[in-house]
Amino acid sequence: MDHDGGEVVTPGELLGNSSLLAGLGAYADGRCVRASITGHRRLVPPPPGSTDQRSTVEVVGHKAHGAVPQPGSVVIARVTKVMARMASADIMCVDSKAVKEKFTGMIRQQDVRATEIDKVDMFQSYRPGDIVRALVLSLGDARAYYLSTAQNELGVVSAQSITGGTLVPISWTEMQCELTGQIEQRKVAKVE
Amino acid sequence: MEYVNPLTGFRVDGRRPNEMRQLKGEVGVVARADGSALFEMGNTRVIAAVYGPREVQNKGQQVNSKDALVRCEYRMADFSTGDRRRKPKGDRRSTEISLVIRQTMEASILTHLMPRSQIDIFVQVLQADGGTRAACINAATLALADAGIPMRDIVTSCSAGYLCSTPLLDLNYIEDSAGGPDVTVGFLTKMDKVTLLQMDAKLPMDTFETVMDLAIEGCKAIANYIREVLLENTRRLECQRG
Amino acid sequence: MLQSKTFVKKTRAGRVQKVVREHYLRDDISCGAASCSTCGAVEHPLSADAAAILVVDTNVVLHQIDLLENPAIDDVVLLSVVLDEVKNKNLAVFNRIKALCSNKARRFFVFTNEHHRDTYVKEMVGESPNDRNDRAIRVATRWYQSHLGENVKVLLITNDRDNKRKAIEEGINAETVESYVRSLAQPGLLDLVVVSTSGDVTMEDVEDLRPSKKKVIYSEHKPMSEITAGLRCGIYHQGKLRVNRYNPFEAYVGSESIGDEIVIHGRSNMNRAFDGDIVAVELLPQDQWHESKSFIADDDEDDEEDVHLAPNSADDAPRKANPTQSTAASSADSVSSRPVGRVVGIIKRNWNSYCGSLEPMPMPAGSGGVAHALFVSKDRRIPKIRIQTRQLGNLLDKRIIVAVDSWDVLSRYPSGHYVVLIENDINTRPFSTQVLACLPPLPWTLSPEDLANPNRQDLRHVRVFSVDPPGCRDIDDALHCTPLPNGNFEVGVHIADVTNFVHPGTPLDEEASQRGTSVYLVGQRIDMLPKPLTEDVCSLRADVERLAFSVIWEMTPHADIISTRYTKSVIKSCAAMSYVEAQARMDDSRLVDPLTVDLRNLNSLAKIMRHRRCERGALTLASAEVKFEIDSETHDPLDIGIYQIREANQMIEEFMLAANISVAEKILKHFPLCSLLRRHPSPTKEMLEPLLRTASSVGLNLDVSSSKALAESLDNAKNDDPYFNKLIRILATRCMTQAVYFCSGDLTFSEYYHYGLAASLYTHFTSPIRRYADVIVHRLLAAALEIAKLPPLFQDGPQLTGVADNLNYRHRNAQMASRASVELHTLIYFRTRPMDTEARIVKIKANGFIVFVPKFGIEGPIYLTPKGDKGGDWVVDEVHQRVTKPGTNVSYAVLQTVMIHMEVVEPQPHRPKLQLTLI
Repeated sequence: MDHDGGEVVTPGELLGNSSLLAGLGAYADGRCVRASITGHRRLVPPPPGSTDQRSTVEVVGHKAHGAVPQPGSVVIARVTKVMARMASADIMCVDSKAVKEKFTGMIRQQDVRATEIDKVDMFQSYRPGDIVRALVLSLGDARAYYLSTAQNELGVVSAQSITGGTLVPISWTEMQCELTGQIEQRKVAKVE
Repeated sequence: MEYVNPLTGFRVDGRRPNEMRQLKGEVGVVARADGSALFEMGNTRVIAAVYGPREVQNKGQQVNSKDALVRCEYRMADFSTGDRRRKPKGDRRSTEISLVIRQTMEASILTHLMPRSQIDIFVQVLQADGGTRAACINAATLALADAGIPMRDIVTSCSAGYLCSTPLLDLNYIEDSAGGPDVTVGFLTKMDKVTLLQMDAKLPMDTFETVMDLAIEGCKAIANYIREVLLENTRRLECQRG
Repeated sequence: MLQSKTFVKKTRAGRVQKVVREHYLRDDISCGAASCSTCGAVEHPLSADAAAILVVDTNVVLHQIDLLENPAIDDVVLLSVVLDEVKNKNLAVFNRIKALCSNKARRFFVFTNEHHRDTYVKEMVGESPNDRNDRAIRVATRWYQSHLGENVKVLLITNDRDNKRKAIEEGINAETVESYVRSLAQPGLLDLVVVSTSGDVTMEDVEDLRPSKKKVIYSEHKPMSEITAGLRCGIYHQGKLRVNRYNPFEAYVGSESIGDEIVIHGRSNMNRAFDGDIVAVELLPQDQWHESKSFIADDDEDDEEDVHLAPNSADDAPRKANPTQSTAASSADSVSSRPVGRVVGIIKRNWNSYCGSLEPMPMPAGSGGVAHALFVSKDRRIPKIRIQTRQLGNLLDKRIIVAVDSWDVLSRYPSGHYVVLIENDINTRPFSTQVLACLPPLPWTLSPEDLANPNRQDLRHVRVFSVDPPGCRDIDDALHCTPLPNGNFEVGVHIADVTNFVHPGTPLDEEASQRGTSVYLVGQRIDMLPKPLTEDVCSLRADVERLAFSVIWEMTPHADIISTRYTKSVIKSCAAMSYVEAQARMDDSRLVDPLTVDLRNLNSLAKIMRHRRCERGALTLASAEVKFEIDSETHDPLDIGIYQIREANQMIEEFMLAANISVAEKILKHFPLCSLLRRHPSPTKEMLEPLLRTASSVGLNLDVSSSKALAESLDNAKNDDPYFNKLIRILATRCMTQAVYFCSGDLTFSEYYHYGLAASLYTHFTSPIRRYADVIVHRLLAAALEIAKLPPLFQDGPQLTGVADNLNYRHRNAQMASRASVELHTLIYFRTRPMDTEARIVKIKANGFIVFVPKFGIEGPIYLTPKGDKGGDWVVDEVHQRVTKPGTNVSYAVLQTVMIHMEVVEPQPHRPKLQLTLI
């Protein structure tokens, strides 16, 4: 069925019985599948090769959810605070989608780079205001997601120098100011 | 005082005992909120705004990390009653109603789908004319549906009373202040489940059942109306998108 | 179907508040006409072949209710706007019209025009509410006409000239009441038509009959707005007007705002207020306050006045207007004089129907014409009432009932019209067939089902007996007393199980609840329940098996209750004794049969209980109950005397009290919000004032701080005079308020107190045959024991309050009727036997005193001065309650014994009265 073509359903409405699987916007309630949001009902055929031959029914709402960081997703975050053993950052985008509200992430000292993790100096890696690309490691503790930049393509993607000029990466640990030519230390991402 | 005219069977405002007041529902009235709704039952007018699911702001409130935290705040606007008076925040009545709304909504929201996040529901009574509790729940439901928060079912609420030996549906302020029993029911229509039942008086069992059944009938009618509002809104949004 | 219409309805006084209420307009309201096919059918529609469908306006309902109640008037549409107005203006009329509308035999239909889409009218700018309502009536009438088509004539009945003109302009058929009734050609009906006196169409006709020189006799009442303003700023005082029973030209208004009674002298100061009206009073300047002497006015006094339909000659302005002149001289020394005022407006009328007769007058020429007559009420406090009648010959020399319609400034007397009713509002009619149909098949015997009922205990083996007044046939209580092996006693009070036969919601129950109580007259009884029930099925007679509701206690020999049990039961009484008989048995020491032993045991228990109750502060009050011996053939009283109270009476009374209290506790525990209890409010200081004044004048100090203190000081109130104590008790009784029924949810626990019995809880359980309250309590108790379901009545607080109020009302009326009956028989008795006897002075007045005759329980005035003379020769000493003649040592003090002569005189036809004179 086409995205917009399905009938509009409201929460609680019956979508089918147990011959269907509950997808997004639907839930299984005993033997029946019901809608949990308002939107269009859509049937998704089972993925080829899957053992369960049941179709999935889902409800597509008119309001897309804001992106939520999941473990494994790559996020863009802005560093807010740098401490001796960790740096905290606000997550701004998840997999190229902007988040709607604030999620905080934390980059611990051991997650900054893959090698020589005991020699990492946090202040030589990030400065407040840096935009970093990071991987969500886990949901972390109650306060923040754990982020990691321990890959080549992760790390600072955009930063400003002390004087305010844009920093240009010159190696995976150094960046240079456009205006003054001063070199600052960063964990730089390798951007293709 | 006669709340039901014994000669004609009409109530003071011209309704029959089993008739509801006029309903009006509108979604998307607060632009900044994720979901919002205005709900009217006669002269009772309630606005509800829903924020979330969003990250838990005050981590201390989080009881378990598996379910979403639902918070609710109920307030009467200063101008909602006949005499304009500053309504204190957090008095016992509004605390109680906040709790009632929160528990009713929690029973409907699929909280396990949104772990570690919180949903804030703000309801404000703009105009009070009896049955604010029920109207608040209806407004909150509409706003939650507007926000696209997954729910088990549409939970609706309606009050019913018993005056002049007659069960009355949807009491207005005059009938409410008569001092008779006032049964407020919250109901999941499609699942046929009662999620809220309140009464501040004594009623014999058999009378109570008829009054409660009447309130449930009212809930069903409200649920039908709310569905219509939601469907209408979805259609309208589609038209806008083209 | 629903259309919302919100509008500002009212602003409440004090703080201005905008009230918004919804008002739904609908299109599904039936017109109620049988001929109408578009509207839904209604239960009893207006007939299809009616000559005309009548729409009446508010004033027609208010004034012509007697006409509307006549079956000749039918097919009437009552608009809700009319009903609302009637309800606001006169609740009594509203109740009558309501009864008419729900009467299935009549075709009165209520049309909710205010909620109908086509007949709702919005108030226009500058339009008064009255005009708006009139317009609403016209709109509704027009709608009816167009809705029903031309085949049906819709007629607007209005006496408002303006409204009628507008209606005819709008093409509506409209007529006045008179012209409509004339068109019916039933002369009898015309008498019921109330002739309107102000501003209406008929005014022109009336005016022709009267001389043109009209004189204003009373001052105009102040407009309501001025009165409310005056009340607020304290110029006027509000209160209920009470006319002096002995002097209809003097009245008191108890005002809360000044905390004292305001005295009002003369009819012109009373300004057309009736006894019981709520009035606004203006205080006269202090120099016009004169000594607060209360006179006894002889009721012949106003007889010389011009009585015949001439309220307009200048010389008969009330001559009692200022009786102060004669006494003004002595007013200088009256320090404690009470405020004097005059009525400026009447806030709420208390017009009723009054019973009396017409003043004798010559028959006017042509008996068919309209005659004006003056009606004299039996109640002296009521002024004469002018009525118009076309059947004067019929009414003269008859006892009739008259209702008051109006009293305008031009007329000396209020005008009214005659109706037929029953005084004291007691229903003496025989029971209807529907009611009788509810009776169990007669002769009734105990059925096996009753015995098989697990809730009913078989107590037939118990030695149960009853003690009642001689000749009592409605025995509703019986007792038993069995010694237990452990030395205690099992005492049972068995009450007739009336609720087993009177089921809630049946016509029998409705009738009983309306009647409320049986009325005991001399030698006669008006039953609450039909005779088969009262005298046979329910009556706990000897040697027959009867159903009962029992309260059974286990009591120690010291009368301490160890346990209480309530049950429905079957009993078989072994003896129905009279008080005398029981007393004789107890006193006869030779008798040792079990029954007598039981009686003695009960009596000793009762004595302890009584003693304990008095310890708690129960008052032993006295009343002067009189007993007649009636000639069985002529029904004339043969002898008269004070009712004797024996130990046996007190014994029964004690156990009944105990049963009532036990039941009250039980039902209140189970139904804290809807129990019917009885309370006796503590008397206020003001109420005890006369008692204290009298007591102190004879040097007696009464402590009234609590009922216990009062009881003790009453016990100590003794001197060498044997009757003194009783007299004081009688006076004390009079100061008390009446005990009343109430619904427990309406008051707080501390207000439940029964002052007279010094009981924190009390109810009536023991006489269900003759009191409806007991029937209610029986049902409550049955529900508390989970034997029966609680009837729906109890689930509705306001309704139960209404029932309690009705019971109080009926109870009071029944008492008044009994008293009136006693009075009547006293008259009959003394008519043939004038005699001299001893009497006691109970109240001092300026020109005489009120005496009480202990032997017969009679009270009456004695004049010291010839009538007309205002007692100038006598000086009243308020402090010592003494009246003396200056210069002589002749004086009379309160409680003094005097010899009087009693005889029946008849100064006016049909108003015989007992005249007391001093010897």
